[in-house]
Amino acid sequence: MLRHLFTLIWNRKRANLLLISEIFFSFVVLFGLGTVLITAGKNFLTPRGFESAQVWRLLVRAGQGQKMPRAELDDVLRQVKALPGVQTVALTSNNLPFTFNTNNSDFVYKGRKTPFANTYDADDHYAEVLRLHLREGRWFAPADDGTHHRPVVITENMRQYLFGDEPALGKIFRYPMVVKNTKPEHEFQVVGVVDNVRMTTEFDEAIPSVWMRLLPYDTTHWETAAVLVRVAPGQGGALQEKIARTVAGVTRQWSTEVRVMEDDRLHRRRYTLVPVVGLGLMGLFLIINVALGLFGVLWYNISQRRAEIGLRRAMGATGAGIGWQFLGEMMVVTTFGVLLGGLLAAQFPLLNAFDLPTQPYLLAIAAAACAVYAITALCAWQPSRLAARIHPAVALREE
Amino acid sequence: MSPETDLRQPDAAAPDRAVPVLRLRDIEKVYQTKTIETVALNQVNLTVNRGEFVSIMGPSGCGKSTLLSLMGLLDEPTGGVIEVDGRAVTSYSDKELAGLRNLKIGFVFQSYHLINDLSVVDNVELPLLYRPGMGGKERRQRALAALDKVGLNARTGHFPAQLSGGQRQRVAIARALAGGPEIILADEPTGNLDSVMGEEIIDLLLELNREQGVTIVMVTHDLQQAMKTQRVIRFFDGSQVG
Ligand SMILES: Nc1ncnc2c1ncn2[C@@H]1O[C@H](COP(=O)(O)OP(=O)(O)O)[C@@H](O)[C@H]1O
Ligand SMILES: [Mg+2]
Repeated sequence: MLRHLFTLIWNRKRANLLLISEIFFSFVVLFGLGTVLITAGKNFLTPRGFESAQVWRLLVRAGQGQKMPRAELDDVLRQVKALPGVQTVALTSNNLPFTFNTNNSDFVYKGRKTPFANTYDADDHYAEVLRLHLREGRWFAPADDGTHHRPVVITENMRQYLFGDEPALGKIFRYPMVVKNTKPEHEFQVVGVVDNVRMTTEFDEAIPSVWMRLLPYDTTHWETAAVLVRVAPGQGGALQEKIARTVAGVTRQWSTEVRVMEDDRLHRRRYTLVPVVGLGLMGLFLIINVALGLFGVLWYNISQRRAEIGLRRAMGATGAGIGWQFLGEMMVVTTFGVLLGGLLAAQFPLLNAFDLPTQPYLLAIAAAACAVYAITALCAWQPSRLAARIHPAVALREE
Repeated sequence: MSPETDLRQPDAAAPDRAVPVLRLRDIEKVYQTKTIETVALNQVNLTVNRGEFVSIMGPSGCGKSTLLSLMGLLDEPTGGVIEVDGRAVTSYSDKELAGLRNLKIGFVFQSYHLINDLSVVDNVELPLLYRPGMGGKERRQRALAALDKVGLNARTGHFPAQLSGGQRQRVAIARALAGGPEIILADEPTGNLDSVMGEEIIDLLLELNREQGVTIVMVTHDLQQAMKTQRVIRFFDGSQVG
């Protein structure tokens, strides 16, 4: 019977072309949507590599035209750290987790260039505040003060890009552009490797990252300073106010905003999810449209094929058999559409488009195929039952 | 089993030892619609014996197609009993009736009812598709044998649209024969054909009846055609009149 259905559909391919192309189209849309959702979901479930709970960020500003000398900044940090409820304080660059600021660059090691990596400035307490997981070596420490090259800590994926499977500690890499008189501090020496981090959004994959130690430096040209604070559990508005007052107390012209990193995370999550949900709704709307179209076409087909149904009944088909036949035909048509769509979808992993891993693509293909079969089966169900109820005696009624 | 053995051989040419294939007793058929009630058949009693060629005549709307749909187990009578091979089918389920139709009955329709998107041989295989346990090879073999009987073995790969009306009706007859039925029911098989082609179809049916022993019940408007058959039954307004 299945062969019969294939023959029938194949011979009717012209008439079935519309159905097949609608199914193909739905498959491709579902595949795209599935890839996005599966990739995002998979990333979401991957460890973030740091802890944002109980971390606040301060944006310390010197007033208009004011300078921010190192000594005063250190004094501010010391005083904030001394507040009860504050556990650790770290100075960093303003591309903080879940914010929209990014700094990035590519690097070279022995002529091999890496993809773009996120770069952060970080002091000796940064790892403690964000609870990064060290895999090799150590985080920055006062012992680094006298080093020739600038000490850096890199993520595991960055290590892979730079050194492959070779050990990383002690190795020196640099920026790709060749500058005359490159100073030793413009080259980077690895002191530690941490687990991959996902700091931009919760749905992005881990981007290779490099933390560069804040050297003993002159901060007088700074206008703002980004400070991370890890607080004890249960701290809230009262401590936030105290921090703001403390900063203002050290130097009159300075001020600070206190933000909770968990709020940044949720804000970024919403911001990222809105287009995804929008895309999902559009896809859903499209699929509903296609489903209604399928339903209509099937309904019409069956009314067109009353004589054939009567004939088949006369030849010995049962009512239920007719119903299954129509359902089966729809599944065969779906198979053609899914095969075409699958052929297209398979190009993405094969051509390594978008540099994504293969697995989400395969999962998306499987999910889209299942969804399309389910949708068409659902659409074909009622018309098939209608076909099953057509009276066999219609065969003898001449229109 | 060879395809031939399933097609009825002449029943030792013994007309006095009549074996009833199909019997209608006190059949009544009333079509009930919202507004009107149509009595399509009224107290019909009829027996078709093995090897017979019976024609049914009557004006349009007198219930001939209705009679054929009852004989072919496509519909249930409002009253009376239908017997196939001596057994009443009154309480048969949809599945049992479908099985009986498949095994015992072949249909030929006025407008052929071929499936346009299937080749000639695929069309002829259709009834065998509904026969449990029959493999593709045997189906093909039987279909080709049936096409051979109607003289169309050169056209097996054609599609219905490529055939003349007479050829299409031959395909339909081959399809009716393919399952090796007890009886072929033909509803105005020449109704859509010109007289030359119509004659060819009647001659084919007569030949199948005479040489293969196929039992046939045929509805026709043509008295000349009817006179060539062994028995003519006349209908008027739902009742048998001769
Ligand atoms: N499904 C049906 N519903 C209602 N009336 C019907 C139906 N089929 C046939 N009839 C009526 O039954 C009568 C006999 O019809 P039919 O058997 O087709 O006659 P014939 O084949 O002799 O022309 C007609 O009056 C016809 O209108
Ligand atoms: Mg009629």
